[in-house]
Amino acid sequence: MDLSLTEEQRLLRSAARDFMEREAAKEALLEFEQSAFGCSDEAWQTAADIGWLGMLVPEEYGGSGSSLTDAAVVYEQLGAGPLSGPFFSSGVLGALTVYEAGSDEQRSHWLPRIAGGREIVALALTEPSYGWEPERVRMRAQPTDSGYVISGTKLFVHDATAATTLICAVRCRDSEGVTLMMVDARAAGVTARPLTGFMGWVGEVTFEDVEVPADAVLGEVGDGWRPLQAAFQKAAPILCAYKVGGAQSVFDVTLEYSRSRIQFGTPIGRFQRVQDHIVEMVNHLDAARWTTYEALWKLDAGRSDPTSVHLAKAVASEGYYQACNHSHEVHAGIGVAREYGLTLHTRMSRTLYHCLGDPRFHRRRIAQTLGF
Amino acid sequence: MDFEPRYTAEQQAFRREVKSWLADNLPDGLEFPADSEDLSYGGYLQLRELGRRLGSKGWLWPTAPAEYGGGGLSIDHAIVIEEELDGFDLSLPPYYDSGGRLGGASVLVWGSQDQKDHFLPPIFRGEVRTWQLLTEPGAGSDLAGVQMSAVRDGDDYVLNGQKIYVGSSHGAEMLWTIARTDPNGARHHNLSWFMLPTDSEGITIQPMDLLITSGEGGAGTGTKNTIFFDDVRVPAFNLIGGENSGWQVATTHLELEHGSGGAIRRNRMVDRLFECAAQLRRGDEPLSADPEIQDLMVDVFVEAEISRLFGLRNYWMRHTGQKMAHEGPQHSLYRKQSGLRAAETMLEALGPYALTNDPRWDLSDGHMEVFQRSSIVAMHPGGTAEIQKVIMARRLAIGRQTREQAGRLE
Repeated sequence: MDLSLTEEQRLLRSAARDFMEREAAKEALLEFEQSAFGCSDEAWQTAADIGWLGMLVPEEYGGSGSSLTDAAVVYEQLGAGPLSGPFFSSGVLGALTVYEAGSDEQRSHWLPRIAGGREIVALALTEPSYGWEPERVRMRAQPTDSGYVISGTKLFVHDATAATTLICAVRCRDSEGVTLMMVDARAAGVTARPLTGFMGWVGEVTFEDVEVPADAVLGEVGDGWRPLQAAFQKAAPILCAYKVGGAQSVFDVTLEYSRSRIQFGTPIGRFQRVQDHIVEMVNHLDAARWTTYEALWKLDAGRSDPTSVHLAKAVASEGYYQACNHSHEVHAGIGVAREYGLTLHTRMSRTLYHCLGDPRFHRRRIAQTLGF
Repeated sequence: MDFEPRYTAEQQAFRREVKSWLADNLPDGLEFPADSEDLSYGGYLQLRELGRRLGSKGWLWPTAPAEYGGGGLSIDHAIVIEEELDGFDLSLPPYYDSGGRLGGASVLVWGSQDQKDHFLPPIFRGEVRTWQLLTEPGAGSDLAGVQMSAVRDGDDYVLNGQKIYVGSSHGAEMLWTIARTDPNGARHHNLSWFMLPTDSEGITIQPMDLLITSGEGGAGTGTKNTIFFDDVRVPAFNLIGGENSGWQVATTHLELEHGSGGAIRRNRMVDRLFECAAQLRRGDEPLSADPEIQDLMVDVFVEAEISRLFGLRNYWMRHTGQKMAHEGPQHSLYRKQSGLRAAETMLEALGPYALTNDPRWDLSDGHMEVFQRSSIVAMHPGGTAEIQKVIMARRLAIGRQTREQAGRLE
């Protein structure tokens, strides 16, 4: 048993920290918050050049074929910013979905482009009747001579407006199962629109009689859900690691504030009521961290255990959310001033709360995997 | 990262050795009462015999140094032993003992060579069982405020005072305690730490009548006792770590008692809840088919998993000599609080079935009913939940520039 990072992972972590200091300091992040893409072109390209969009892409397809834990170590540091931008959507979820669902030809075509950052892929799965179960996929694809025509609305699509290609989940008339299609985001009839509000980089995508060629079907018609689930199982813990990084960052800044903020003539952290908030935060943080890294270890060690993935996703989503709430209690007024930076996390903790299913969804799944 | 021991061929061979040894050496007819107060004297003696047999192999305290009667084994070997014992519903040690788990660690860190040679081997070999005597009627959370006095007289110290919430059923051979050696000394610099035999003259043991007893991990210890000291003479040799340095010595075992020892044992209450819910029928369906009940069971499962991971992390940190900060009290706090929440959820899920040990209607050989009581009592041993938060705050340096150091474990 060894719960420490390997030497190589420590180097990765330190490289990711350096990258964040250079490309995504607080001032930059506050600018990114206002951007449609989520980060600067430089940050995106640098990350691609370093290889962080191809960590989960096997070497034969132009990636580094790293372990999930290696990727999580990097994404934890991105989450510490939090660095917005389609890093997870394309480099993790997109790459894994193409890998799990695609034919060898499709992998050869898409994966090097995703790894190089030239194609930006986002998953267009959820619809106005929102949910992450397969039954929620209702959008239809009508067969034509050369392929399909799709129409409908995908809602709460993460990084919808940044994507160059959307992995769209539909149902073909001739099949009951879900079909995945690679749809050009610039194709005629596709409109991606960002949603405003207390979320970021989440959009609505409408498809109006969009023509999709037959070879855009990722894998087999009607067999999209199985590989998508396989991709979710691997991607979810990396999203959790991103949240762990966020919660760690919120914790660090709150701890520092408890030392420097003076009220009643003493640092506020001397008050036990304040301490209680920080104690709760570190409990949420550590719970998120260890459920996440155990789930990653199980996947990397080849002992797939869906329960541990659902556990991590439920705990990390709740943990990041609650860490932000407690941090706001400690900070009071200054915490809600945008320039302070805490609200970057608060917004992100809400934005990602439902991504890949909210805690309630994953707790329900645990009831299933435990066989109740 | 690796959340499990790596089972090398050598360790797999070790597991086979442990398995076969246990098959040959586990006493017959071991008792597993839900309420540890129901453990008979005969049942206790069997557990002690098992302890001695394990101790003679170095498996009672596998990672303790071999030169003092421990096993001198790696953490991975220790886990193999724990896992194999867990299969029989046993853990290390198989009975309540504050000597190997806590007091021995203090002697190891602070004792002289002669003291280590004298006190440790009987502890680590399982030849003696040892109780800790810390709390007094006037010193609970404020442990450093103990009043028991120890006055030097020739080659002895003479101890007078009263300790409460001590030990377990069926006695112990050795005791360790802290007492005031400097009545006018500064706080934390006025205490001394002693080992002494239980049969010392002037000691009176009086059982207490409590709701139930519960150790740090919620494991029952049997009956707790009040112990009166009337002019008890203790040889000066038995004072560990130097006069008036007793608090420093105590920080080592307090650190461990505050959760830094970690745990790798499965939480059986979660399985028991699942079994009860599957067993109880409401109409034609088992209770466990109700989605609302399932949600409650998942709530208990999730928190038990978090608690397991905190325990596993601490076990790894402890046995690989990692520097710890808030992790010990964090595990202690989480275990206490999640235990109390689990009891509430179980009460909600099972209704009054959770409260009865009536032989006709009880669902779990008394375990559910015991847990309803023990989860309350478990909030306090080894420092209350609130005290754990205070320690966490100091270790994290909330509102402070420097972190309070954890007690020395090595």
